[in-house]
Amino acid sequence: MTDRMEKRIADVLLYGSVIAALIFFYIPIATLVLFSLTKSRFLSWPIPEFSTRWYGELLADRDFWSSLGNSALLAVLATLFATLLGIGGAFAWTRYKFRFQWGFRILTFAPLLFPQLLLGVVMLLWFSVLAGWLNLSPGLWSAVIGHVIYITPFCIVIISVQMQGYDNTLDYAAEDAGATRWQILREITLPLIWPGIFSAAVFAFLLSWGNFYITYSLSGSTRTLPTFVFSGIAVGSSPIYPALATLTFIPALVLIFAVDRLRKRATRRRLSRIAES
Amino acid sequence: MAEIQKTWRDGALRLSTLPLLLLMGLFFVIPLIMTALLSFQGTQYYRLVWTWDLKVWTDVFSQIHYWTIMWRTLMMALVCTVLCTILAIPIAYGMLHRLSRWSDHITLLMVFAFLTDAVLKTFGWVLFLDRSGVLNGTLEAIGFPPAAVNVLFTPNATMIGMVYNLLPYTIFTIALSMARIDGDLVLAARDAGASRLRAFIEVTLPLAKPGIWAGAVLVFVLSLGVFLEPKVMGGGTSPLAAELIRQSFETRVNWPLGAALTLVLIVIGAAALTVFGAVALWQARRVAHD
Repeated sequence: MTDRMEKRIADVLLYGSVIAALIFFYIPIATLVLFSLTKSRFLSWPIPEFSTRWYGELLADRDFWSSLGNSALLAVLATLFATLLGIGGAFAWTRYKFRFQWGFRILTFAPLLFPQLLLGVVMLLWFSVLAGWLNLSPGLWSAVIGHVIYITPFCIVIISVQMQGYDNTLDYAAEDAGATRWQILREITLPLIWPGIFSAAVFAFLLSWGNFYITYSLSGSTRTLPTFVFSGIAVGSSPIYPALATLTFIPALVLIFAVDRLRKRATRRRLSRIAES
Repeated sequence: MAEIQKTWRDGALRLSTLPLLLLMGLFFVIPLIMTALLSFQGTQYYRLVWTWDLKVWTDVFSQIHYWTIMWRTLMMALVCTVLCTILAIPIAYGMLHRLSRWSDHITLLMVFAFLTDAVLKTFGWVLFLDRSGVLNGTLEAIGFPPAAVNVLFTPNATMIGMVYNLLPYTIFTIALSMARIDGDLVLAARDAGASRLRAFIEVTLPLAKPGIWAGAVLVFVLSLGVFLEPKVMGGGTSPLAAELIRQSFETRVNWPLGAALTLVLIVIGAAALTVFGAVALWQARRVAHD
């Protein structure tokens, strides 16, 4: 085979597979957006007539609003705790060296390697026991704990990546200049790893927002958007779910692009600083 | 980067690890121990009885029904892992070496699709593959017979859903390890007369092995626990282990049985992890050695 031909084949295969992958990833998403605009009650193709009627129906649905509220509360709490714990975890993972560090790493990484449903089920057993002792029933509080356990490892990994290449001499210089440890943390370390923290927080928020398995196991009778949709489509499909999907895509898109902008700005700033010195 | 040596007396180390350790201990380690203990109990009239015997375990090991489902789960997980790995290699490579100018944007698009609510995406697939869905509707419009593609509510649909939801894991891990490969090595191989394909197979692939293994492990373990895809896209006709576990907890209210089945699945996953991990470590050593 000639080199030219080999390159041709490789090009077709490589361009083709990336484009095919993007199409594959967006098939269900595009389908949902299309069907959200149907006028008909039935979700069949081709769409007979377009309208925004189902958005109105969705916004008039009380269950939707309560699930939206629960999803938001759950995601905010889970993000807060997972990010804070993730910052601590990332320090212990990458910047410190201590006894039993490997044990610490394995323990804090393990939930990521656990099928989510099993994580949820195993925790549910324990929460049911706890709930019996403390006289309360599983609900939003147990879902928050479940999400934090599942999401913190992701935060640790993301923040650790940002910490790679962190220059310790900055800390020493500040210490020599008489800064307290708290000041060093607040004024040097955190600002430098801030892009990592921010992307970890966004990632955590979206993971929690879209989580089905753990919420399904642990939230008791409290419903979030994913479990609201799941119980809805188990009974029969309705065009309000595509409308719901389309509405929830928008904040996620905005968040992801915001993270990207921030990351690029941080990289540019770092590059220009290197150029200056 | 120099690491800072710390002892457990150090306040900063305690502050950064103890809350996390406490949380993981209380809500991850204890629940696992609880599950193990629970599998030695029994049930009577839908209530848990503390019997401390092996009844549930003899039940689990004597019922062929459970093992058919476990076997099916294992096979689905293996096929899914192989598919995700093979598909991800050209995608990751193409992203880095053909569409490198756009690779940031492509990554963002993939991250967005990945982070979208899985229930909604799975539902989107149902609408797409349905008898009167987008795919069949379009095919009919261009002259195919009605309902030409009849894949929904079969194990194949489950597989499409699993690959869809898990493929990003392999793409991201493989792309990460491919991005670290020194391009000069490939050029050197080309200079020495290797064809493109040979350079790829003998230089790029071996160097990307850590990422390939890591992605495969993640996908395998995660695919052991799928429940949404078989239920929504597979139509619940051939349930997998997660569904079995859910049923024993919810429908049959037999917690000891559910706990035992959970442990079986955890053991299968852990065994796979150990094997995969050993091979990956060995591979990484060999790469470092070369």
